[in-house]
Amino acid sequence: MSDHEGHGGGAPGTDDDLSLPKATVAKMIAELLPNDVSCAKDTRDLVIECCVEFIHLISSEANEICEQESKKTIAPEHIIAALKRLGFETFTAEVEDVLKDHKQQVKEREKKVGKLEQSGLSEEELARQQEELFAASRAKFQSTQQ
Amino acid sequence: MKNKNKQTKFPVARIKRIMQKDEEVGKVAQATPIVISKALELFLGMIIAEANKVTAERGSKKVEAYHLKHAVENVEMLDFLKEIVEAVPDPSAGGTIDLNAEPPEKEKKRRGKGKRAEGGAAAPRKRRRKGGKEEEEEEEPEQEQEADNYDNNGRQNADDDEWDG
Repeated sequence: MSDHEGHGGGAPGTDDDLSLPKATVAKMIAELLPNDVSCAKDTRDLVIECCVEFIHLISSEANEICEQESKKTIAPEHIIAALKRLGFETFTAEVEDVLKDHKQQVKEREKKVGKLEQSGLSEEELARQQEELFAASRAKFQSTQQ
Repeated sequence: MKNKNKQTKFPVARIKRIMQKDEEVGKVAQATPIVISKALELFLGMIIAEANKVTAERGSKKVEAYHLKHAVENVEMLDFLKEIVEAVPDPSAGGTIDLNAEPPEKEKKRRGKGKRAEGGAAAPRKRRRKGGKEEEEEEEPEQEQEADNYDNNGRQNADDDEWDG
């Protein structure tokens, strides 16, 4: 693997080497270009630099917006506002969609967890119930064996 | 075989670390890097599309660094990248262009003829070429070069400085 920094959560050597994984970016570029066009290695590295610069640009602007609202945490809404301010309005529609999807997923996850808490049973009680179910199905299984 | 499903995504944790490299940036909501990831995807798409346009214009099948440089110069949205692409050499000029330096001709003219700072048109002094034949000390900022002295030098060659007879 050419990406010496590791994937996803791999800790990089120094913070200053922080960049995006080459393999990922190379793949995405390939997906975007027509089938008969390729990308030079230099270009790919340059593109990665541009992407990192984009992150800094947006983050910086969003940070300002966040401060203006007297908030401490940069929220997605700040990012969207930053995009608009910096002339990237064409991006905001899809970005807002992603945000909506994400919120939806979080809601669904919470619902599942909620079911557990809503049962009102303690963990021990639930474990006991689980064991009962296992015992019942074990018995059923053994009876069918005969 | 290219996968056009576009399932590849940027690593969210990495994006967050890059954001926080900026000391001004404090806390970041969990959803924020996810949103940036999408914006980054769109940005990448745009920059590649623009670079590819230049590539196609030049009849090439490979996107070179200077294609990207031209794209950055053409698209206002990409102004913030100008410094990054500055170092990319433009092959059509046969090497690196230092845009801040004066073009070679002007520089040489200044060196050779301090007097001609006011410049006139490409009015060549012809003194150099003659190799000291006639040291015309007169200032002729706007005069025609068809004076009698210059019998065989009717040419208005701006590069005469290099022609050290």
